Amino acid sequence: MANIAAKRIKREFKEVMKSEEVAGGTIKLELINDSWTELQGEIVGPPDTPYEGGTFLLEIKVPETYPFNPPKIRFMTKIWHPNVSSVTGAICLDILKDQWAAALTLRTVLLSIQALLSAAEPNDPQDAVVAKQYREDIELFNLTARHWTNAYAGGPTAIWEFNQKVQVLLDMGVEEDQARVALSTFDWELERATEHLFS
Amino acid sequence: MAGYFEEMGWAELEDGQQPNHLLDMARFLIDFGLYEDNFTGEWPRLPPPASKEAVQSLADVTVETDDKSCPICLKKFNIGDKAKEMPCHHQFHAKCILTWLDKTNSCPFCRHELPTDNEGYEAFKKEKKRAEQRKEDIETLHNSMFS
Ligand SMILES: [Zn+2]
Ligand SMILES: [Zn+2]
Repeated sequence: MANIAAKRIKREFKEVMKSEEVAGGTIKLELINDSWTELQGEIVGPPDTPYEGGTFLLEIKVPETYPFNPPKIRFMTKIWHPNVSSVTGAICLDILKDQWAAALTLRTVLLSIQALLSAAEPNDPQDAVVAKQYREDIELFNLTARHWTNAYAGGPTAIWEFNQKVQVLLDMGVEEDQARVALSTFDWELERATEHLFS
Repeated sequence: MAGYFEEMGWAELEDGQQPNHLLDMARFLIDFGLYEDNFTGEWPRLPPPASKEAVQSLADVTVETDDKSCPICLKKFNIGDKAKEMPCHHQFHAKCILTWLDKTNSCPFCRHELPTDNEGYEAFKKEKKRAEQRKEDIETLHNSMFS
């Protein structure tokens, strides 16, 4: 790894560890390997959002050309959000692409991702299905996102009706993540989700 | 002449009446489709490198405090260190900022833009500025007419 990238990540790591966010437990950063090229981030869901009470893990890959190019970051914890792929965890965020600036740090990026959870940008979606639900039925979107937070991120709110429907599909032999995606995609209409899965 | 005014739904000025320039301006903007903000373009990728001239004319400075660090490599500056200063007064190691400006034209700290050698991008910037000016003009006009 290029010298400047490794040195900078080390300095950043120190900065993050001293930050009030780490002290307050809203973000975390861990090293994955000794060469400083892979890290794991952690953010907690912001209050007053469907992600509240959830803990979301992020995969961070630092390119050799860092900080002249942005880190590659995706959600490892599954999440229902218009700007995150519900399948791959890929994030659509301008500062991770054409709005990257070399003075941004892993700390500011993690805070930006956390801010994205409070303020989605449905007009610049990563996941078209999620964005459509967000625009057309925000209440259902909020319930779905809360359910995902409960199922994957340790969020506190179980939604009984949704869990029941997932269970129906599990009993039919459908794999759990697939069942959840199908139901979420078809606005929790069991019939349409089943039809989609078995067609 | 009267026929033309009627057709347009306008009235000829009476003797001694002053033209309403604001109203004329508003009509002009609407007639030429400028009322809608047609220009919503974003530059679809990282803007191009800073121009050679802009890079060459960056100020060389000597750092006078030891409480700042280079925003690119995050290394602390010592008093007496040489640095390059952008027009926005942000200071960097020469190697750090030159590498960045070779990639894109703005200050990595505050996004202050330097000129580029890319004609397409410069034309885009001008058009964007014009669109913003137009929007401002229309707002000023709107406020003065309806407030
Ligand atoms: Zn530097
Ligand atoms: Zn600046």
